[in-house]
Amino acid sequence: MSSQTIEFTPKMRSLPGASPRARRAASSSLLFAAKRVGRTLLLMLCAAAGTILLVRFAPGFFSDDREMDAKYAHAAQAEIAAQGEAQQSIGRIAMSEVEGWGKGEFGESRQYGVPVAGLVGERMRASALLLARGILFGWLLAIGAALPISCLRKSSALLGLPFTILLSVPTAAMATACILADAGGPVLVLSLLIAAREFKFLRSLLEGAWQSPHLLQGRAQGLRPWALVRLHILPNAAPQLRALATLSIVTALGALVPIEVIFNVPGVGQLAWSAVMNRDLPVLVAVSLLMALVVGVAGMLSSSEFTLEAA
Amino acid sequence: MRRISAALLILLLIAAAATLRWSRYDYASQDRDAIMTPSTAQHEAGTDALGRDRIVRVAAALVIGLAGSTAAATVTIMIAAGFGLLAAFSSKTLAAILLFVSDVFLSLPWLFLLMMARSLLPLTASPLATAVTTFLVLAALGWPACSRAIYRGAVELRNAEWMIHAHASGLRTRQMIRLHLLPHLRPLLLPQFLICVPAFVVAEANLGALGLGVGEPLPSWGAMLLELDNSALLARSHWVYLPIALLVIVLLALESFTSEIETHA
Repeated sequence: MSSQTIEFTPKMRSLPGASPRARRAASSSLLFAAKRVGRTLLLMLCAAAGTILLVRFAPGFFSDDREMDAKYAHAAQAEIAAQGEAQQSIGRIAMSEVEGWGKGEFGESRQYGVPVAGLVGERMRASALLLARGILFGWLLAIGAALPISCLRKSSALLGLPFTILLSVPTAAMATACILADAGGPVLVLSLLIAAREFKFLRSLLEGAWQSPHLLQGRAQGLRPWALVRLHILPNAAPQLRALATLSIVTALGALVPIEVIFNVPGVGQLAWSAVMNRDLPVLVAVSLLMALVVGVAGMLSSSEFTLEAA
Repeated sequence: MRRISAALLILLLIAAAATLRWSRYDYASQDRDAIMTPSTAQHEAGTDALGRDRIVRVAAALVIGLAGSTAAATVTIMIAAGFGLLAAFSSKTLAAILLFVSDVFLSLPWLFLLMMARSLLPLTASPLATAVTTFLVLAALGWPACSRAIYRGAVELRNAEWMIHAHASGLRTRQMIRLHLLPHLRPLLLPQFLICVPAFVVAEANLGALGLGVGEPLPSWGAMLLELDNSALLARSHWVYLPIALLVIVLLALESFTSEIETHA
């Protein structure tokens, strides 16, 4: 089916012989893509605005250490407090954030006193590797278990029990158990978490697929299960699998914080936790933007219409 | 299986309530002569680093965790139902805006948002205030996923022929929602509610393990997981693992109960 799909290329628009239907499909696909990009940008903007609002109203967020220093006279302390008050309007904070974005530094970390871009950049590699490995191994585990279990007519609930148990263990508990047992690491915990979440959906998806009439007929005619999976089930379930993969990214991003904190992984999750504990606004905004970007792009790519098959 | 899960949960709750009612210790009372003790005649499951009875604290954590999560799930479902119905019965533009707002919440990592919202509390907040706020934050951030499902269900019902007939017969939107929509949405709302309860128990445990959950001395699953970091405690008694074992049993019962209800729905 995929071999018959017409891939959209920029050249197609300039082809004089392209049919009006193809041109219409191409322009609607471009419009759709533009909408998705706009949506992602809006999502990032909302995430940044939400973070600024949340942090602005955090109790004691803008307290200045100098206000508690005895060497400053009452008048000087009052002046520092007044100066701080003047710089605390949401508009001013937003402006200084935008200025930081313009310089490409995303401001300076309150906690570490270094540009946020450098701080986040250093930690992105560790988190990206952890995410990629965790999601990959988790999916392999989930698909590897869901495919054979979904073929069975009996005892599938019993075989799926390990995943149900895994689903019942909080991430932090799983990570702590790994440390106590001195076995496994952050990748294992993330993989198990993803596998437990996705197995449930994959099993029900595949069980539903096996019951479809054309597959029953195929089985009755003696087609091998692997051939049915490869030729019928996986291509048909591709849109749902893509949507599930997006959810995996969101799940993995959420689990990143406890895993990185407990295993002491120098990644973005640990940085976010440290920024939350120390109320480091520039870092929080940058991490929120990054998270929104990853989620937005993942959602954009998972959208079946974005494959431009309509063209 | 559903009955076994429900019976197990009820038994655990009764046992926890009985322990809290008849135990000679309070969840916050400290026995200075029995700090980090293993199982003894006075403290059957030992004590923690401050000499507090572990059984009483686990019982209180179970009651607080389940009661808080159930209350939070109720609030979440109410918000989600309100949001979903509003989107289903409003103009296209307003519905698109409402759905975008829910998407913004839905697409951001939940735990990260929770951590952020919970950390904004003043450091001087009372333990009860931290518990209430933690579960309120969970409720406030948990509704978007449910509201999507409720919106889809409400739109499907709104477009049903009998609903169009009811509208044509002169029923107002409020009447249609109250008399027809909500009773038909009940099979959808119940599984959504049941899904939220274990999700909130897990979220509270994860938050607590990061030091952002229910404040001490109020016991919670998350705070009790933090005990596992204390190597001196681990070396003295295996009873330290009691909270995590019980938490897994509770979650397993909740998960199996929820799955069965989902399947029946």
